[in-house]
Amino acid sequence: MSTPVIAHTLPNGMLVLLKEAHGAPVATSWIWYRVGSRNEPAGRTGISHWVEHMLFKGTPQIPAGHLDRLVARNGGVFNGFTWIDYTAYYETLPADRIALGLQIEADRMVNALFEAEEVDSERTVIISELEGYANEPETWLDEAVKAAAFTRHPYRHPVIGYKEDLEAMTRDDLYGHYQTFYMPNNAVLVLVGDFDSDAMLRMAEESFGQLPAGPALPQVRAAEPEPQGERRVTVRRPGPAAYVQIGYLAPDCRSPDFAALAVLDSALSGAKSLTFMGGGSQTNRSARLYPALVESGIAASAWSGLTPSRDPYLFELGATASEGVDPAAVEAALIAEVTKIQQDGIAESELARARKQMRAQVAYGSESVTNQAMQLGMWETLDSYRRVDTLLDELAAVSAEDVRRIAQTYLTERRRTVGHFVPDDAA
Amino acid sequence: MSSASNSSTLRHVLPNGMVALIRRNPGAPTVSVRGELRVGAALEPPELGGLAVFTGAALTRGAGERSFHQIVAETEGLGCSVSAGGGTQASGFSGKALAEDLPLILEILADMLIRPTFPAAEVERLRGQFLTGLRESEQDTGYRASIAARAMLYPPGHPFSRPSSGSLDSVAAITRDDLARFHRRYHPALSSIAVVGDIDPPAVVAELERHFARWQPDAPPEPVSIPDAPHLVGVRRDDIAMPGKVQADLIWAVHGLRRSAPDYYGAMIANMILGQLGMGGRLGEQVREEQGMAYYCYSDFEADLGAGPWVAAAGVSPENIERAAQAILAEIELFRQEGPTDEELDDARDYLTGSLVIGLETSDGIAGSLLGIERHGLGLDYIERYPAIIAAVDRDQVHAAAQKYLSTESYVLSVAGPV
Repeated sequence: MSTPVIAHTLPNGMLVLLKEAHGAPVATSWIWYRVGSRNEPAGRTGISHWVEHMLFKGTPQIPAGHLDRLVARNGGVFNGFTWIDYTAYYETLPADRIALGLQIEADRMVNALFEAEEVDSERTVIISELEGYANEPETWLDEAVKAAAFTRHPYRHPVIGYKEDLEAMTRDDLYGHYQTFYMPNNAVLVLVGDFDSDAMLRMAEESFGQLPAGPALPQVRAAEPEPQGERRVTVRRPGPAAYVQIGYLAPDCRSPDFAALAVLDSALSGAKSLTFMGGGSQTNRSARLYPALVESGIAASAWSGLTPSRDPYLFELGATASEGVDPAAVEAALIAEVTKIQQDGIAESELARARKQMRAQVAYGSESVTNQAMQLGMWETLDSYRRVDTLLDELAAVSAEDVRRIAQTYLTERRRTVGHFVPDDAA
Repeated sequence: MSSASNSSTLRHVLPNGMVALIRRNPGAPTVSVRGELRVGAALEPPELGGLAVFTGAALTRGAGERSFHQIVAETEGLGCSVSAGGGTQASGFSGKALAEDLPLILEILADMLIRPTFPAAEVERLRGQFLTGLRESEQDTGYRASIAARAMLYPPGHPFSRPSSGSLDSVAAITRDDLARFHRRYHPALSSIAVVGDIDPPAVVAELERHFARWQPDAPPEPVSIPDAPHLVGVRRDDIAMPGKVQADLIWAVHGLRRSAPDYYGAMIANMILGQLGMGGRLGEQVREEQGMAYYCYSDFEADLGAGPWVAAAGVSPENIERAAQAILAEIELFRQEGPTDEELDDARDYLTGSLVIGLETSDGIAGSLLGIERHGLGLDYIERYPAIIAAVDRDQVHAAAQKYLSTESYVLSVAGPV
């Protein structure tokens, strides 16, 4: 059922990716911008996410509140996401209504109003979103680990931003960010669904072709220096359990070692879909962390994760301590699993399992056009959409020795930040 | 033992009463299995709260000749998965696999349902995980507000008055024998299974017969039944102080309706307009978009075998609790009095019929829809009839449902958040 991806660059620099999928009479339209918390200077944290919110607050053509109605009336669903490296918007619609998705995205790429009143009303909505996250001990620990793991790179601050920055941000700040990053030469349009590619491409050209290209984009100069020793953070607040989170500074997704890191992650906690929507099947209970941490009674849950990123990010491990277990014991058990792989590598059977699991995850992801477009867009924003197809080959080429080598190279004491959350009612 | 099919769904009843719904969806080389048993926490004694959930989760911990290790090693080795769990009105099970691996999934699911072994050590591990989960829930503002609302809406002893996950005390008290005893309530005549994907339906029927026909319990089936709750009179409120939190969850709730209620479609569309459509319907428009008080504000109801709660919920900062509660009540009162506009009704109807194809895109989505159709006896032609059903819902029906169920005089209000 898989058809090839057609890539076409418009004269204004916007890349269009098209993939026909005729399994169901639906289609999806995604637009991706290469902007996220990575592009935010100090004092403006959270600005990319706030701009994303403002793109739902009206243009002269589609006033505030009309966009959601318009999509609903056409039987569609929509959303927007902001992440460290990218911001994305989508509409999934009955296939014969997909033109609406293009119309909405072409319009709000340049015409979003950012009315002062809407900016102020959204300020409190976003602070409310932040305070919702700030109810969770996992958020407190995650933010502390990221802030310690990155000393210079903007990955150190949360995508939602700091409250004091959100309180101070002005309409002009937001509009400036929008005008800098929202332009065809910084965007990727991804269309997947039950359509004819030639007709669809003409539609994309009509919608986006006349939008002018903008100036060259500001580059992110920050580079996280090589860590020179382990960093440790402890958070003490009221909470239900102790949590441990460990982050190792890891290479970006374009590194030749990325596939081996993905296999390492699979060996620890099973293969997962590498996108933020997930949607695969649970495969972690036969991997290494579950028996070592959960079945042994040390932890109620344990996880590992590799995030494909534009700049070096983190390879992470974490666990929720069982009642009465010291977080130090949980940390030791997590690190012991890393040490075993550094010493002995992984078995051929684990390699084979990782490959089959990843093949299954890719197949599950291909059930929905929304998910397919998300994978294409994410990889194109980070590197190249071709990675969606080549990743399975990359994984097949990873040897057990590669996994041992990258564990020895990257999962070292020097490169790690260890965080403990300790429940403390007196805090 | 009978088979019927409509367009592309094959419905096959096994001799023991289990209903199979099978549909070919060749869009991807995968298969989704989803099933349910109309056995749930409504049947458990309150002092053993959490028993149905515990029993469901324990099914993967050992079944037939396989240990938990063997189950996860065999399934995960192929990139597939099996799972099971309990709820208040039903228990569910599911599997996801590449189509080539369906036989293994069905064999293991059958063993889980028919021959679970409940190994003592696994039961203890699971208990530890449940207890940690409950401790985490107890510090979750949304969970606390929700159980407080349920405790005020339903009398003690009513299955909806307590969470299906039980309490720290009740989960600690459940024994392995309790699990085995509760499992005896599982009955093929109370179960249905949907298999959807890149499969050959007749071959799936044969596989199901092979694995599930041997399921022959001694006892007759005893389905879940949910009593009606006494009418709510006046306003009840519960404020729960939770140290360390920065945001409060606020829930307004009344009694909703059963899925079988004649005014179900009117109520469903009323709920969409009040708190679903777009960014949370009228409630989202007012509380989020107009007043900027919350990141989320929506309404929802649980219309299933029993009449679950109809809630409106928002996450707000502590200084906005009373203002948000007033705003929610004002929207509800306005909607009760005036009903929907014609435009809103058109929006809702167009969305419901238009989005049907999106809900039926994936095999998981189709399997879930088929189970719902079977549970509520809607008939295999339901999906084809659905647009006409929705088109026939008029403004008066929606308004009448809003007036009948929603109230600003008799309701419960729970708030869980910062001290």
